[in-house]
Amino acid sequence: MSSKRQLQKESTRKKIIETAYLVYSEQGFNATTATIAKEAGLSHGAIFVHFPSLDELMTCLIEEFGATLTLELHSLVETNKSMEELLRIYLEVLIKHEKFYSRLITERSRLPEEVRMTLANLQSLIAHHFNNVIEREIDKQTVKKIPVHMIFNTWMGLTHYYLLNKDLFSPDTPVLERYREDIISTFLELIKR
Amino acid sequence: MKVCIACGMPMKEVAEYAGGDTSKDYCIYCARPDGSMQSFEEKKAGMIDFIVRTQGFDEKAAAQLAESNMKKLPAWKECFE
Repeated sequence: MSSKRQLQKESTRKKIIETAYLVYSEQGFNATTATIAKEAGLSHGAIFVHFPSLDELMTCLIEEFGATLTLELHSLVETNKSMEELLRIYLEVLIKHEKFYSRLITERSRLPEEVRMTLANLQSLIAHHFNNVIEREIDKQTVKKIPVHMIFNTWMGLTHYYLLNKDLFSPDTPVLERYREDIISTFLELIKR
Repeated sequence: MKVCIACGMPMKEVAEYAGGDTSKDYCIYCARPDGSMQSFEEKKAGMIDFIVRTQGFDEKAAAQLAESNMKKLPAWKECFE
């Protein structure tokens, strides 16, 4: 295959992934491949040239989303960040992807297993960053001696609660941005020694 | 910047490479004390422990999660064939 065709193929694939991200963010994972094709300005068949099945498209999309998040988090979390800085970075990254991330957590049980696993792996990565910081802060006695997983799960519970009830907390504007300071300061107050 | 072949972590700083050696393709967390890369079983057990400790998941679910993660990593490809 000529390199020009290869490039074009690559750019169409990228276009499909980017469009799927936007369409799923807006409409949820019930959106059809026909909608994605239409929004991307492609024929319906073109999608299946690149992704033989819907599961495959979703898995690729979540994997790329995961890779983006991994890089964004990893490049921001320097080795000596404080708990507060970590929470800020985490929310910063999530705010950028709020709509899509909300869809993932609200519709999780209906997603293919492969996609659910990829999402869970993404959470593990976040747990890894938390673990590094929490252990250091517990050693320094700046954070209460609570099991790492409970500190992490409490934080996830708190942020997910706002995301899942966005219609009640912030129907018209992104919810995490609006409550960012409340969420961070309250959580820190709870875990600080 | 390389990505660890055994766990997928981006290696940004020299200290993140096994033994601080940037010619290595695996990270500090995937190395044994002698600097060699952990085996499949060692890495899997380590990942399960880590998931249970940091997220509190059920052990069986953690094992499933660890395997699904390892399946995608170049270091363990042949273990799943």
